[in-house]
Amino acid sequence: MRILTKTSLYYLLVSFVVFLLGGIGYYLILQGEIYDEVDDQLFTDKENILAFIRRTNTLPHVTSGVTETILVKEVTNATPVLESLTDTLIYSSYDEESIPYRRLTFTAYQNNRVYQYTIMKSVMDFDDLFESTVFAMGWTFLMLLVGLGAVNYSINKYTWRNFYNTLQKIKRYSLSQYGPLQLKPSNTTEFQELNSVLQAMTNKIHADYLNLKEFTENVSHEIQTPLAIVNSKLELFMQSATLTTDQAKLLEEMHHSVTRLARLNKSLILLTRIENREFKENEDVALHELLAQQTEQLQELIDMHGLQLEQSITKPVFVHMNRGLAEVLVSNLLINAIQHNQPNGIIKVALTKAKLCIQNTGEAIQNSPDNMFGRFVSGSNKSGSLGIGLALVNKICSVYSLQPSYTYQDGMHTLCINFSNKNR
Amino acid sequence: MRILIIEDEQALNASIVTYLQQEGYTCDSAYDFREAKLMAADMPYTCVLIDLNLPHGDGLDLVKLLKENTPETGIIIISAKNALDDRITGLELGADDYLTKPFHLSELNARLKSIIRRRNFNGQKTVQIGDLEVFPDAAEAQVQGKKLVLTKKEYDLLLYFLANRNRVLTKDSIAEHLWGDHVEALDSLDFVYTHIKNLRRKIMEAGGEDYIQTVYGLGYKFVNP
Repeated sequence: MRILTKTSLYYLLVSFVVFLLGGIGYYLILQGEIYDEVDDQLFTDKENILAFIRRTNTLPHVTSGVTETILVKEVTNATPVLESLTDTLIYSSYDEESIPYRRLTFTAYQNNRVYQYTIMKSVMDFDDLFESTVFAMGWTFLMLLVGLGAVNYSINKYTWRNFYNTLQKIKRYSLSQYGPLQLKPSNTTEFQELNSVLQAMTNKIHADYLNLKEFTENVSHEIQTPLAIVNSKLELFMQSATLTTDQAKLLEEMHHSVTRLARLNKSLILLTRIENREFKENEDVALHELLAQQTEQLQELIDMHGLQLEQSITKPVFVHMNRGLAEVLVSNLLINAIQHNQPNGIIKVALTKAKLCIQNTGEAIQNSPDNMFGRFVSGSNKSGSLGIGLALVNKICSVYSLQPSYTYQDGMHTLCINFSNKNR
Repeated sequence: MRILIIEDEQALNASIVTYLQQEGYTCDSAYDFREAKLMAADMPYTCVLIDLNLPHGDGLDLVKLLKENTPETGIIIISAKNALDDRITGLELGADDYLTKPFHLSELNARLKSIIRRRNFNGQKTVQIGDLEVFPDAAEAQVQGKKLVLTKKEYDLLLYFLANRNRVLTKDSIAEHLWGDHVEALDSLDFVYTHIKNLRRKIMEAGGEDYIQTVYGLGYKFVNP
């Protein structure tokens, strides 16, 4: 949920609760006031009646309307009601509803006889007043609520705009295509701080990235020459006739390691070069032809491993990328399928317009499949495997926005490369 | 045959010179661009090995220069750069081959032989060792006049051995020569052994001698017994 929506919702919620409590409070106060008023009038009437009786020594003329009633009856109770104030409902046939009344009952003595007076007053009028007041108040509250909400929202939106701007920029930020972060200056202290922290951070990250990149590049390139020298000297050494068998064995092991190191170095250089996006010349590579070429070249290895190759390439597929990298991609996928296969296993190659899938039989990998595309992750402990092949595949995919995926089911590893739409 | 080795790394230059001298070539060394330019202008070379990163200049300019002045000279670029574009530019400018450092000296030797053979510098159309005769133009080999039926890999292996006669070749260098970058897919180098066994068998079945020696602990050697 966006922070704007969130704060607005909280704001509305709090306003609603406050208005609700305020409304209830207002209602209760108003109600109290009205009862007070009615009761006052009832007591005034009582005083008036008692005063009338005292003055004239006769019962007052009894009116009997709907809105105002005075009932007098003679009672013989031993304990007469002195004074009692109650609510009651009286049915009005005109309104066809029961109307709330306030009733005051008191006792008056005249000529040694006891009379019970009941004065009733309708609270209806006050109720109407109350209703319309609540209604008006309600509307005011509602308008206030909506108005405040809108104002709050737009103010928030305005103050947070720099934040969203920064967020957008950060989202688009990419290390390999570094341009300094152009963040909009803000007069909000927090956003100013955020921007300066981000700026410092990305600058630092970028500097580190460059250092690391430079280091990898330099190291890989500088390693070439010493390797070449060691390699050549070893080869010269091997040719000497006076070697004993033990020495020869030692030499061979050294030579093997140097060769392995050289191969690893070559792959690392290639990886770095892909990362640096040095392969700029792209063309529409005929993937179907490339696959055919590569499988032909690897046929011997496939036969040697006793593997069975099943190909289903239906239509010509062209992918816009660098030819050299496309070759590396395809050959690494195929080599991976050969290398991690089981004896007499199967390799299935399927190419469609949407994706290239290479399946091979083999045991499930122990590592988590997410690590598959990392560097130096070897599925098995077979020597000769550097575990860099799929890292190359992954890197090439990321350069061309292709999506590699991996699944394992029923003893079959499936590696797919999905071609995104923009590549066609 | 005179070979010019243009490589600024002295130790590597020396190794190449030693290896090629044992092959019977006359070798000259140049250690920077200016020196190389002078030497290349002085004398026609059979083949020139050029390192691309040179002090005082770019090896690609030397390729251009050599192509203009002595087009018959074979050119092999040896470079630490494995940039695809460098390779393409180099070959487009007229280099005959491109080797990325680090390489096996035996591989360099094989490539050199192949260039010299293609250019027919020694007027020789066939290579003969004992009963074995190889016709590189036709990509065929025969023993005592009987044609050997070899697979492409076996033939390549034979040529590689011939180029490095009496030299110890390790399994690694053979594997890399035969499979190139695909060598990573080989679980073990036993495949090299299989190929050598087949080649040896085919030669011997045709009545040839056993030319391929196993050098215990190191690799194989092609000798004329």
